[in-house]
Amino acid sequence: MIKLKKAIILASSMFLSLTSYAQAKDVTIYGVSSESGAFANFGKQGSKGLKLAVDAADDAAGMKFNYSIIDSESNAGKAARKVKAAISKSDARYFIGSTLSSTALAVGKEVDKAGGIYINGSGADEITGTQCNKAMFRWSAPTYGAVNASLIPVLDLHPEIKRVYTITPDYVFGEAMLNNAKIILKKRGIELVGNSYHSLKEKEFSGYLSQAMATKADLLLVLNFGSLATNTLLQADSFGMKDKMQILLVWSSGLDHFRTLTPKVAEGIYFGSQYWHEDESPANKAFVALSREKLKETPNYPMAHYYQMTKLLIDSMNATKSADPDAIRKHLEGLEYDGLTGREFINAENHQVEKYFYLLQGKKASEMKDPDNYANIISKAKYFLPANETGCKM
Amino acid sequence: MQNTTPFKTYAMGLIAFVILLPLLIHSQVLATEILIFAMAAIGCNLLLGYSGLLSFGQSLFFGGGAYAASILSINFDVSLLTVIGFTLIVGIALAVLVGFFSIRRQGIYFVMITLAFGQLGYYAAFLAEDFTGGEDGLLDVPRVALKLPFLPDVHFDTDISFYILTSVLFVLSVMLMQLVVNSPFGSVLQAIRQNENRAEAIGYRVKLYKIAIFAFSGAITALSGALYALMLNFAPLSNIDIEISETILFMCVLGGLGSIFGSIVGAAVFLLASDFLSELWPRWMLILGFLVILVMLYARGGLWASLMIMLERAKEILGIKEKHNV
Repeated sequence: MIKLKKAIILASSMFLSLTSYAQAKDVTIYGVSSESGAFANFGKQGSKGLKLAVDAADDAAGMKFNYSIIDSESNAGKAARKVKAAISKSDARYFIGSTLSSTALAVGKEVDKAGGIYINGSGADEITGTQCNKAMFRWSAPTYGAVNASLIPVLDLHPEIKRVYTITPDYVFGEAMLNNAKIILKKRGIELVGNSYHSLKEKEFSGYLSQAMATKADLLLVLNFGSLATNTLLQADSFGMKDKMQILLVWSSGLDHFRTLTPKVAEGIYFGSQYWHEDESPANKAFVALSREKLKETPNYPMAHYYQMTKLLIDSMNATKSADPDAIRKHLEGLEYDGLTGREFINAENHQVEKYFYLLQGKKASEMKDPDNYANIISKAKYFLPANETGCKM
Repeated sequence: MQNTTPFKTYAMGLIAFVILLPLLIHSQVLATEILIFAMAAIGCNLLLGYSGLLSFGQSLFFGGGAYAASILSINFDVSLLTVIGFTLIVGIALAVLVGFFSIRRQGIYFVMITLAFGQLGYYAAFLAEDFTGGEDGLLDVPRVALKLPFLPDVHFDTDISFYILTSVLFVLSVMLMQLVVNSPFGSVLQAIRQNENRAEAIGYRVKLYKIAIFAFSGAITALSGALYALMLNFAPLSNIDIEISETILFMCVLGGLGSIFGSIVGAAVFLLASDFLSELWPRWMLILGFLVILVMLYARGGLWASLMIMLERAKEILGIKEKHNV
């Protein structure tokens, strides 16, 4: 009888330990993505990248990777509530992405409290600055890097530029972009002849463009993004501004912008970009091939950055052979790896991924080698503030 | 809709509801959000359902409450009661301000004035970055403890403890609002909604009544905004955006105008549907839009009225005698 009891207890404990082992090997990665709302298109593309990375990972290092998409509804409050619910209900610990900086900041706080890992690609300087925390990592260049990596090479290429006019969205992001641009222009002794602020709901830019032409600027520096930038460039093209001055859009959406603008408009215009699918780095070539094979499409920036962030997390789990957030964090801090933009490095002091930022120039339609060969890479560079100047205190 | 259900039955029903809700949906966080938005929808219903005042200024009260509670909690070592008291004062002050100007006009002009106040609030919050955090919102909003003399502090750091706090405030608010709408004051409001000129002709000071109901609406909406910020530990700018007014109005209409319980049903259905549907299909708003069209066309009293009709019919079929009108 005693033997039977012992056997039952042994069998039960073996079953329980096997069950818990199996559960420990199931890792769910939560993608925070604006699937609905104002930025739904960005979110939709981003989740494709995340899914691609998870599907490609198989069950590496004995772990089976799953994903779950949290629709942020393009609303920071909603995102924070859903992430909070996922943490308390499903013990979620691994989070990727966001569209809005306010979402990233709020989600970062929640994940930090839960002791998880959150890799995002939002732009606000605070993410790896004053609001940084142990859980949060960022894969994308903030405004400082974007402005430096795009404006400096344009000024080098065109020493005739002496007068610059800026168009700036009137909110935190725009202000940060403008401040960074002012510092560079001042250093170079170039005059900022005027700036037009506009609201985030602006559609009509002809008034601002007329002012830019009236100042006889040599460079129109466009500091807005997304559909605002598209409208600005379309209207600048119809004003014939490309013949009168150089145009630089610092924060473009990469391939999506070129597709919307068409080569006729984009030709000759400079574009700053976080990602470009024609980069020759081995990791990027593999990613583009994977995307074309699995999704039958050339990857754009949202896809690429969600893919890279997810891959970074999965690779870290494989390297540490663990899903322990602390082990992953330690592995990520100071890591140098082959990323989509070339060799990328994670600054241990503020968790900023130091990656390349591109300067592209739109091609003529007749020069395009394939339907997505919209631009030449003029340069790629890394510009990041030293961590001790970002205000980050872990 | 005048309700004659005994007060105790109401209280028992509400208590049963708040106990069962998190058990049924398996999420204390979502259950908390449902109670919070139910309170906001009740605030909207007081204006639209009971008084015929379509206000798009609800986001101002909601966001105002969220910012008031957040600023106080972040910057001062205060008790929860102080935060709630301050939030109610801010909500009432904002509502009286909006009411004072908007009730001077009727119809579309009234709506436009409330909308303009809502937008003013949004841009004021956007520009007052030092106080509101601007676009990034206010982060690290602490859930302040309830400090009572001679008693140990009560903390609300866990999801369940915060749900209990929200439940208590929810039950108290709903009971208070039910008392208000069933009081002679509530009857006058309904008289104003049905025929404002007649109500004025028989001697009621219509403007005062309207301002008073604005104050009640502002108070409960601000309280819900404060609880939302404390729940999230975060007060985003979107709390004061026009979209919040639209969402609250959507819940209010979906559940049924002129019914406190309708607002609760509207908030619950909206949030549960959006939570469930957003996991299934990114364009889930299409389904919710379609649902509202169906409700408008075929269930004009809202989901709550339809539920009540179905219950009545079920009772008739089962031969149960009706004791109370609901």
